[in-house]
Amino acid sequence: MLDILLSQLASGLVLGGLYVLIAIGLSIIFGLLGIVNFAHGVFFTLGAYFALVLYQYFGWPAVILSPIAVGAIGMIAERLLIQRLYDKEPLISLIVTFALALLVEASVRLIWGGIGQPFSSPPFLSGIFIWGPILITKYRFAVFLTTVAVLVALWLFLEHTPFGRILRAGSRDPEMVGLLGINLPKVLTWVFGLGCAISGIAGVLAAPLWTITPSMATNAIMPAFVVVAIGGLGSFAGAVIAGLMVGIVSAMTIQFWPEASGAMMYIFMALMLLLRPRGLLGERWERFE
Amino acid sequence: MTVTTPGLVLPRRKLLMGASALAVAPLAAPHIARAADPIRIGVLLAKTGGIAAQTEYLANGTFLALEERKNMLMGQPAELVWLDEPSPQAATQNMQKLVQENKVCAILGGSLSSNALAEEALAKDLKIPFVCDNAAATDITGKNCNRYTFRLNTPVAVQQAMLSPFAAKFGKKWYHITSSYAFGQDILKSSRENLKAIGGTEVGVDEVPLNTPDYSSFILKIRAAKPDVVVGGLAAGDLSTFLKQWNELGMKGKIPFVEIAIGDTDIWAVGPEAADGIFTKLWWYNNPNNPPEEKAFAAEYLKKHGKPAADKAWMGWITAKSLFDTLDAVKSTDAMKIVEGLEAWKFSAGQTAYSYRKFDHQMLVRNLAVQVKPKITDKWDYFDVKAVLPENPADVDKVFGTEAEIGCKMG
Repeated sequence: MLDILLSQLASGLVLGGLYVLIAIGLSIIFGLLGIVNFAHGVFFTLGAYFALVLYQYFGWPAVILSPIAVGAIGMIAERLLIQRLYDKEPLISLIVTFALALLVEASVRLIWGGIGQPFSSPPFLSGIFIWGPILITKYRFAVFLTTVAVLVALWLFLEHTPFGRILRAGSRDPEMVGLLGINLPKVLTWVFGLGCAISGIAGVLAAPLWTITPSMATNAIMPAFVVVAIGGLGSFAGAVIAGLMVGIVSAMTIQFWPEASGAMMYIFMALMLLLRPRGLLGERWERFE
Repeated sequence: MTVTTPGLVLPRRKLLMGASALAVAPLAAPHIARAADPIRIGVLLAKTGGIAAQTEYLANGTFLALEERKNMLMGQPAELVWLDEPSPQAATQNMQKLVQENKVCAILGGSLSSNALAEEALAKDLKIPFVCDNAAATDITGKNCNRYTFRLNTPVAVQQAMLSPFAAKFGKKWYHITSSYAFGQDILKSSRENLKAIGGTEVGVDEVPLNTPDYSSFILKIRAAKPDVVVGGLAAGDLSTFLKQWNELGMKGKIPFVEIAIGDTDIWAVGPEAADGIFTKLWWYNNPNNPPEEKAFAAEYLKKHGKPAADKAWMGWITAKSLFDTLDAVKSTDAMKIVEGLEAWKFSAGQTAYSYRKFDHQMLVRNLAVQVKPKITDKWDYFDVKAVLPENPADVDKVFGTEAEIGCKMG
């Protein structure tokens, strides 16, 4: 029994890692822009589709090019649409980003069709590792390592670079940052692009595991919102901890109560919010009070 | 007082009566469509969600069936009105809209069993012929049957009975992994009955929520249970995702996987490296035994869409064809005349003929048992046909169950 529990734990950590990547972009965008981005899932979808197309031309470098392309599209979306929502009611941004999600999904369907697209992991990552009682596939292990690398790089970027400091300051007091002579609108465009690119990375990593379809974001965006709610809106560390917890809870529920596997993350969220309404590491944000 | 015109003298009362009679004439014969109005047929197929990959092909086949007739039915222009079926509730609302606002004379569709079960109940209330092209839940033409509902897809229980001997060849320890909605629950129930009949053991069962993105935890459980064979009941995108992860976890070729009613689009989405399993399906574009009319359809589809006709395209085409043939034969949009026409419809398909059984309105079609090729060289051609079921064409009626076994009471 111990072997299967440890393997389930490993599987849950990988799934949780993917949720973290989607949720972290969502959390950064909310923290800095104040926008609850319902269109975030479609950037995950675009990451998978771009990887599929770019792979045909560039081979495996497509896994790097795809998130960059997704980030660029995110920046265009911010300049054309999202930046008009900053001083509007939250309800308007919800409706507009939801409409954007529908538009992008319909466009994907128009370009690539409704049927699933085949895409496999690279041959050198096929096969499984068995370490004592733990079984994990090489590809999932690579996904986990990539997730950790992306999160560490992002943390270093936010904590130890001048740009990261501007972002953190801007999230707390955008007016003051503007008075210091920093072009905040330009910074926000980059932030939105960064959030979308991270979601694109999750899409690329999920492409060999999930079926690539125009509606694949549906399976990703709800867990991402759950992760953000549990971790605390705008909290980097909260999203990481919550994502891994959600992955593990899902995997363990499948082991012991499979019928409830779809619902358990929501029950878990409800319990967590009852205990701590702002989420695990959620703080009081003056801007949104 | 009379209205007088040169050469014509009519009492005013008679004139008014004549005018009134002319005005109400169309009401006296409501089912004879006026020349100016096109004949409208409703289409209820999901436009989004996991099943949309299949419904795209169902719709393509349906529209092609009308285009083959130059968009004419009963000598009049005809059109298809396609509304979405995102959920059973929204599907029935759209069905009502098709009948009451769009004035359709019949409806094609029913992409998911849960939708089709709700739609067929409403078809009965609205007294509108409903020809279901995809849903396979046994009850559609079983205990929930009604006079207005016809169905193409072979019921789950029948397909499962056809597939079970193939599963039993691998052993008597079965593991079930099925979706937790009507289609999957139906498969689980039928498969358990078949397993019990051969004295087998269920070594594990997982009822999986729809749109599950990660199956690795389920696959780890299957691996630990060491079954002789896994009997699946996952639909569309869920099946594709499962098979991808089945291969990723090194299970392809280790434990056999069998499932009924695979769609070509499901396996195309898996990709040649990961595809695996034995399945039942209704039709295959590359089957040399397809009758000439189906071969012509497959060629026309390829010409129009640049890719082979998936089984779902054929399913859309043949159900639409059955309805369009019927309308041309009965030359009426009266619901009961269409129902009677569909009951009499026949299509010659080589050794057998397709037709709807009168007592349950189930189309009788032989199924194919197919296995994924060991090496796939053509990105569309994944299967070897292992058998046509039932092997004796004369057994078709028996395999689909007798009137007493089916439990359909049309009333």
